[in-house]
Amino acid sequence: MKAAQFDYVKPKTLSEALDLLVETGDDARLMAGGQTLLATLNMRLSEPSILIDITGITELKGISVQGESLRIGALVTHTEIEDSDLVAKHAPLLKLAVPHIAHRAIRNLGTWGGSLAYGDPAAEWPACSITLQATMIIRGPSGERRIGAEEFFIDLYTTSLEPDEILVATEIPIASKDQISYFNELARRHGDYAVAGIAAVAKKSGDVLRDCVFTFFSVGATPVVATKAQALIDGQELNDQLIKEAVEIARSEIEAIADLTNSAVAKQHLIGVLLERCLKDMLAQK
Amino acid sequence: MSLKKKISMTVNGEAVSAEIDPRRHLVDFLREDLFLKGPHLGCEQGACGACTVKVNGQIIRGCLFLAVQADGSIVETIEGATKSGALEDLQNAFMRHNAMQCGFCSSGMLLAAAELIEKQPHATRAQVREWISGNYCRCTGYHSIVNAIVDVLSARANA
Amino acid sequence: MELNGEQLIAAPIPDVWRGLNDIDVLAKSIPGCEEISRVSPEEIHAKVMFKIGPVRARFSGKLLLSDVIPEQACSMAFEGSGGAAGFAKGRSRVELKLVDGGTLVSYTTEASIGGKLGQIGGRLISASAKKIADDFFQKFAKELGGEVIPLQSAPED
Repeated sequence: MKAAQFDYVKPKTLSEALDLLVETGDDARLMAGGQTLLATLNMRLSEPSILIDITGITELKGISVQGESLRIGALVTHTEIEDSDLVAKHAPLLKLAVPHIAHRAIRNLGTWGGSLAYGDPAAEWPACSITLQATMIIRGPSGERRIGAEEFFIDLYTTSLEPDEILVATEIPIASKDQISYFNELARRHGDYAVAGIAAVAKKSGDVLRDCVFTFFSVGATPVVATKAQALIDGQELNDQLIKEAVEIARSEIEAIADLTNSAVAKQHLIGVLLERCLKDMLAQK
Repeated sequence: MSLKKKISMTVNGEAVSAEIDPRRHLVDFLREDLFLKGPHLGCEQGACGACTVKVNGQIIRGCLFLAVQADGSIVETIEGATKSGALEDLQNAFMRHNAMQCGFCSSGMLLAAAELIEKQPHATRAQVREWISGNYCRCTGYHSIVNAIVDVLSARANA
Repeated sequence: MELNGEQLIAAPIPDVWRGLNDIDVLAKSIPGCEEISRVSPEEIHAKVMFKIGPVRARFSGKLLLSDVIPEQACSMAFEGSGGAAGFAKGRSRVELKLVDGGTLVSYTTEASIGGKLGQIGGRLISASAKKIADDFFQKFAKELGGEVIPLQSAPED
């Protein structure tokens, strides 16, 4: 199907884009990679009168290390993350996650910021950003503000972004030497929307995990952190019994929501499956 | 007031200029305005891969890319890639392994395979399968396609 | 798709009942409501802009009330067309009960969503619908000068 008619503008600077947003209001849609937006327009689920293409704004690009943080610009593509040595070194979780995002042709255009701003419950980046304790950097008419990833995702397809704001970049604390990561996503076919997924990190010494974060996605309207399971595991020697208990707690603390693929009961079950695989993998990691 | 935009780009090595509606997808512009029928329309949602073309050296979905976005870019379709000879060994391998039947997926499949060979010259069979999972084929059952790609990977590695 | 729920509103039953039947209150409570009119005692016509993420689908529809027990319960059948986005159709039963703290509004809904919204845009139809229902009750309660009191247990799937 073809999209309805719209006008198209490609601002050169961030302030130009922000001014345009204020001018056009809800009649405009921001476009970064367009891999979700254009499909939405093709199906006429959205009929904006103007598309603001922000891909020309250099301020939103680039991956760099600044002090103790890894800064990823909103326009960084999934492929750029896949190919980045800085990401491999300082945020290895992202490297584990990226092959699960759709397929290469989509990854070549789709962006880090686009995925975060859209906040699809089945998306990989929102969960990863929470696990890695990212800070979102947002620019609006009144200037710049920062907000933690966990507060950023509010509800289904709803983030803290106001209609006149643009996500500019995120800052992620660089991984410590003892940090290990685990990522897994269950889908009917590779590249499909996730049925359930986990993005996890922990600090490991011997068989003990500390500062664990287990974030589940595609089980609720936003990514969900299994705080009780984390508390159980933290500082304890990991063994089969503890894993079993953690799995039970995770299944009871998260209230899953059904979707077109699975019932809530099935999702609840898969939460346990994913956590078990995660903990067994983390136990085996050197 | 007309919404049409003036764009210019290089398509298969030739300079092209046009005035088009912003909503026109790149794949429709290539097929209908430039008569390059190599890329095909399947799902128009980015899932099937039949519309895959190359923009600035990387594969993209022609149905999820506006022609206006290609302004100032280098665009390549299967026609250009064939003419340049860049896909010769892949295309020969496809024929040898019977990796084409109706041919609808082939344009996208070849361009996707070409990017794999370029980016992951040591890809394993499993990696090949994962990479081409973004291109649907309704005829071959995929094995012959994977065989053809693996064939080319090993030939190039041993070259 | 099924959507069942309960909301506790800190307001007396007569106020809640009146509010549910008041076109002006409904206009302010239904998220995205652009137009609403009562065509007859049993029939309401409305235009609602459905907004989730980038999706904008304008639904034009009608609501038919039946089995009305004043200040206790009513049924409604609804159908709406969202143009190219799709269509929605369903039935709902709403019941009011006096409890500690105010009025307990229980609703059961069965809906089918067709067209593009149902096939592709509707990966999370039940979550979207729940969000809309929650938004409705927040606004509705505010209109009545009361508020929604969070319940201990959430409805079963």
